[in-house]
Amino acid sequence: MEFSPENPRLAEPEIETSHADEFVEQLRCVTDSLPSRINIDAQSVEQGLAKLVLTLIEFIRRLLEKQAVRRMEGGDLSPEQIEELGLALMRLEAKLQELKTQFGLEDEDLNLDLGPIGRLI
Amino acid sequence: MKLYAYCLIEGIDSLPVPLKGVSGANVRLLKVGTFSLLVSDFPGDAVPVNRDNALAHAATVGSFLDQTTPLPFRFGTLVTEKQLESFVTARRDALQAKLDLVRGCVEMSVKIIQTANENGDPPAKAEAPEKPGTAFLAEKRREILNKESRAVEAKKIAGWLEDRLAEVVRETRINANPTEKLLLAAAHLVERSCVEQYRETLKELRLERPELHFLFSGPWAPYSFANIDLEFQFGVS
Repeated sequence: MEFSPENPRLAEPEIETSHADEFVEQLRCVTDSLPSRINIDAQSVEQGLAKLVLTLIEFIRRLLEKQAVRRMEGGDLSPEQIEELGLALMRLEAKLQELKTQFGLEDEDLNLDLGPIGRLI
Repeated sequence: MKLYAYCLIEGIDSLPVPLKGVSGANVRLLKVGTFSLLVSDFPGDAVPVNRDNALAHAATVGSFLDQTTPLPFRFGTLVTEKQLESFVTARRDALQAKLDLVRGCVEMSVKIIQTANENGDPPAKAEAPEKPGTAFLAEKRREILNKESRAVEAKKIAGWLEDRLAEVVRETRINANPTEKLLLAAAHLVERSCVEQYRETLKELRLERPELHFLFSGPWAPYSFANIDLEFQFGVS
């Protein structure tokens, strides 16, 4: 293929920012949550299954939190009910955290790429 | 022995210099009909995800980016030669349409960070001590409201970016689902002749909104616009 003004030769990729540290931190989060489906061994299969199950639980947990907040804002819960609901959700969050630690998973791991729809969480 | 598939390209009939790909294997050009594919031999069934392999994949896909626009395969695509030929032959029209879409273009990327205390939100007010369950729900409420407000801000910024780059961008893929810091990430399909104008426009936008932290990069192969991974998974494997 010939080079011409219509088809100019491009330089190597350039990266430009005045805030490199912030973006490096963000990119690390992304790389930490890359799918592990390519490296298949017994341990990663077990972890992959735990990741899938915990992602779904995390998704439902967040829905429950939103619903609880909505009901709290709606004023249809007594202070005692708010406290009870808050405690239940707090314990659920703590339990999920415990399970994540057990399977060596971070917050960023609990998500699913749904392709064109985007990410689950 | 399987083949590691890097990308599909047009207008390239030979490799001018030897290329080393994933696991140090020699990259070769495989002709299937009117298409050329960059491939290398791979002895295993799964490609280890590591820095060297990721860089080798990116370098090989980008090796002809200064001459032609490739359709990249997803990292780790392993197939037999027969499968690859069958895939390319069966999907010739769809692949040609994708090549038509990206021809003469490269992918440019923009990421924008806006930290929570930089978008004008007042800091959380100290409140009277509450019972633990109630305090937990109050904190969740603050988090949800903050997330919603960042999503609205991300949409506004996305619209602003789209308007201002409309002249130099052929297509856009935008992820305006903000995290704690990252407000949005956009991939733009830009004609080669417009790359400099694109960069200059972004520099102007950066000056216009100093509260936003920009990272822009490229040119890259059009990974966000030519995903042939799904077709491959469902169609061949």
